Amino acid sequence: MSINISNNDGILIVSPETRLDTTSAPEAEALIIAALEEGGSKVIMDFSGTEYISSAGLRIILKTAKLLKPKSGIIVLCNANEQINEVLEISGFSTMVSVYKSQEEALTALNS
Amino acid sequence: MTETMTGKMKILVVDDERLNINVLVELLKPNYKMMAALNGLQAIKAANSASPPDLILLDIMMPEMNGYEVCAQLKSDPNTKDIPIIFVTAMGQEESETKGLDLGAADYLHKPISPAIVEARVRTQLALKQNHEALKDAYRLIETQKKRMQTELDVGRDIQLAMVPKLFPSSEIFDIHARLEPAREVGGDFYDVFSIDEEHICLCVGDVSGKGVPAALFMAMAKTLIKSRATTDSSTASIVTHVNDELSIDNDGCLFVTLYVCILNTQTGVLLTTNAGHNPPLIRSATGEIKALKRLDGPVVAALEEFAYKEGTFQLNNGDSLLMFTDGVTEADTEDGQFFGDPRLETLFAERTTGKAEDFVAEIFNQVHQFEGENRQADDITVLVIDYFGTEDTDTQASIELKLINELSEIERITDSFMSFTNNHNVPSIITGTICMGLDDLLTNIISYAYSDGKQHEINVKISMLDKSIVTVISDDGVPFNPFQQVSPDVKASIEERKIGGLGVHLVKKMFDKVSYHRNIDKNVVTLIKLINQD
Repeated sequence: MSINISNNDGILIVSPETRLDTTSAPEAEALIIAALEEGGSKVIMDFSGTEYISSAGLRIILKTAKLLKPKSGIIVLCNANEQINEVLEISGFSTMVSVYKSQEEALTALNS
Repeated sequence: MTETMTGKMKILVVDDERLNINVLVELLKPNYKMMAALNGLQAIKAANSASPPDLILLDIMMPEMNGYEVCAQLKSDPNTKDIPIIFVTAMGQEESETKGLDLGAADYLHKPISPAIVEARVRTQLALKQNHEALKDAYRLIETQKKRMQTELDVGRDIQLAMVPKLFPSSEIFDIHARLEPAREVGGDFYDVFSIDEEHICLCVGDVSGKGVPAALFMAMAKTLIKSRATTDSSTASIVTHVNDELSIDNDGCLFVTLYVCILNTQTGVLLTTNAGHNPPLIRSATGEIKALKRLDGPVVAALEEFAYKEGTFQLNNGDSLLMFTDGVTEADTEDGQFFGDPRLETLFAERTTGKAEDFVAEIFNQVHQFEGENRQADDITVLVIDYFGTEDTDTQASIELKLINELSEIERITDSFMSFTNNHNVPSIITGTICMGLDDLLTNIISYAYSDGKQHEINVKISMLDKSIVTVISDDGVPFNPFQQVSPDVKASIEERKIGGLGVHLVKKMFDKVSYHRNIDKNVVTLIKLINQD
């Protein structure tokens, strides 16, 4: 399983293992959509186990954000490593989606 | 003209008195076909008929519509304005004569008419008309020829532009760029840059005498001869000698070409050069010193059969640049006769602020155009720049070569293999991550878009660790495509506005230190370089 999904009090935690790219994006998308259909409008993508993302990964983040908007939902990111941070900066995603240094910070932000 | 069928020209007599008409008709009918009209309206109708007259004898004093009015009307109609009109009248005053001529009449006859004079004037006017027609035909012919010549020049220019490469071999050892701007009439410049093998590149610049299609074809021949000879011949002297032998045979057109051919060994920096009558190129050292490579190895090519050209060598050091160009640059002039000149070009080269070869080529063109002013380019302008960085990295420390077929599911295996390779070599994780991202984005694009035949294809990935950098080379045999030529996406747009396409390549361009593309015969080759900062 290359994408780990868990639920923390109604908040969906998505943790891609190793990579969020062309290979793992389809799985991530399917899991996120399924989980959101059961209810829930808050998503944290936790990159602590992720070595890198590519534009396919960005696509997933964008799709999720667009899915959540009509529900007034939100997706945030955390534990991004150097490569992931650079990608978020260059693509401009860091201005659209919040990035936190830890899952605790992310949870706090979503629960407030 | 109406006389072609019958041999006789046609004359229309206009008079309100039958008697007058008969006199003229009797006089002229032995030699001409005659028509008659009793009033202005009939005359105008006859002039506009399917077989109009070649000449009109026009009475002035007529009721309803007088001769002046008829004349004015005929002259204002494009259909009838070229039919010469001779006024026939009893009014002998000069005043009416000038009025008639002012209205466009060709001549004037006074009653009582003298037969000899009538015949003479008629003959003269008809001859004049014939000449006029012949002139019109000749002019039309000249216009057609002129258009044809212009098309020929355009074709020549299209051939010229199509033949020179727009993409250049590239690597971390050098950066090459070249541009040719043709003058309005094809001036015969060309350049070529190609890899001979893994280590050698051939660069050449030339200028064919003459203009138009013959010059363009001659240029195409010269260029082709050089390239085909260079595949087996490593001596520029020998290449140019061979090309000269071929081109000087049957050179009836007496075209010739100046040539500068050089071969660079990218590993050692040794430049082998042969100059056949071309203006010397410039070398700029890393410290900004300029030197002209002045040696001359023989005359212009195709002038002397069986001439043995020579060659020289020059050592390029890391940081050197070579600038090859045609005299379109140095001989660009201002309206008052000042030349751009070699000193100005040398200063421009010396004071160059570091940048890509492409930027410097653009800078040179800007300067030349600014100097000469608008719309003044008289000759082709060609500039070729190669920046030589050299290899600090002596040997490849380690490398990995991977092959995959064109299925998206294959990408995981490639990135997995690469990640375990870097684990064994202490590569910083950001570099590993960036390269994996690059592989994912580019391989996805290739697999998704490069093939239209539904067949299996092999894609090659080679990753080499050098002293200061990691070089990734991806090659595929799909349709020719340069991923780096696409327009970058708008990274400032909001969530609603963002589009998905183009982002992958944008990330690659930004996150690698150097990216390049070139086409190697039937393969797309993409090179990505990431520098490793030694801490």
